[in-house]
Amino acid sequence: MDREQVIKALKDSGKWGHKYSLWAVYFCTGCGIIEIPPSITSRWDAERFGVIPVASPRQANLFLITGYVSVKTLRAIIRTYEQMGEPKYTVGFGSCPINGGMYWDSYNTIKKLDKYIPIDGWIAGCMPRPEAVFIAVTHLWTLIDKGMANAYKKYRKQYKYYRKNQEMALGKLEWPPLYPINEDE
Amino acid sequence: MKMNKKNLIQQLELTFTDNEVNTFEENVIKIYAKKEQVKTILRYLKDNGYNHLALISCVDWIKKEEFELIYILTSYLNDNKSYQEKGNVYLKIRVARENPEVETVIGVFENAEPYEREIHELFGINFRGHPRLIPLFLERKYDVPPFRKNFDTRKYVKDVFESIPVIPEEEE
Repeated sequence: MDREQVIKALKDSGKWGHKYSLWAVYFCTGCGIIEIPPSITSRWDAERFGVIPVASPRQANLFLITGYVSVKTLRAIIRTYEQMGEPKYTVGFGSCPINGGMYWDSYNTIKKLDKYIPIDGWIAGCMPRPEAVFIAVTHLWTLIDKGMANAYKKYRKQYKYYRKNQEMALGKLEWPPLYPINEDE
Repeated sequence: MKMNKKNLIQQLELTFTDNEVNTFEENVIKIYAKKEQVKTILRYLKDNGYNHLALISCVDWIKKEEFELIYILTSYLNDNKSYQEKGNVYLKIRVARENPEVETVIGVFENAEPYEREIHELFGINFRGHPRLIPLFLERKYDVPPFRKNFDTRKYVKDVFESIPVIPEEEE
């Protein structure tokens, strides 16, 4: 670490901690997950960037959504996302979560994922290379430094809209709301 | 009697007289059968060594107003030679598109159960005698089963997924 960065890190040590310990949920959707094993193992070695896959969402704070999202997967994604501890960052990986990609007219694929859960950033491409994951991670560092990676705060504030959209896509949800919803507002 | 392929075709033509048996390619026997006879023919083929139902597939021929069900059978024996000898059997039947109903073949091949459930869900074909025709994959309800040719995917996407609003930005 540079000397100049030491002062910066000490000034805002919380951000410094969040930046270099992005633990990703080992959650597989679609075909993009095929890029994750080479990224985390010795060929590209994601641990250089502090990204480690973990098994449980309760230990994780980075959520890579790696491919097309079917309606059934959306249910699992929401449940996983709501279990993660804050601060949590989500990255849509590949073109399918952005706008449906090649499944743009499919009867069973969610088209725009940010209508249902908040997304901090997107990686475009079909498929993105492992290098693109690291570009996204370094970009996420910048966002965390500037205090702009606050999608989870948006989720808390706008929760009633998110919940409404989730119910429109999935029908009635069988779990209670994560945050209290005021209907009167 | 040892059954080789040539014998089998002859036997099939003799036993099931109103069916058409064809071999267009090597290793493939195609049988175009009546839908009432599907269970008998499958039983007959199973007794003659085609003891593995690999797949049940379905095609929607919308202009002919018919569904085509295809049962693909192979020999599941361990030695390769027997497979080479026997090859595959494609058993094809046609079902009318209006109120399509076929008899289930679970009595002959038990692994037909998920295939028939899938076809029931995606094409809306009713399998008579199936113990549990409940949804297999789909979460949402569809008016028209989604793999039928008259299911308008673009209209469906426009009506359902496009109508969900974008999350508004937070007010400061």
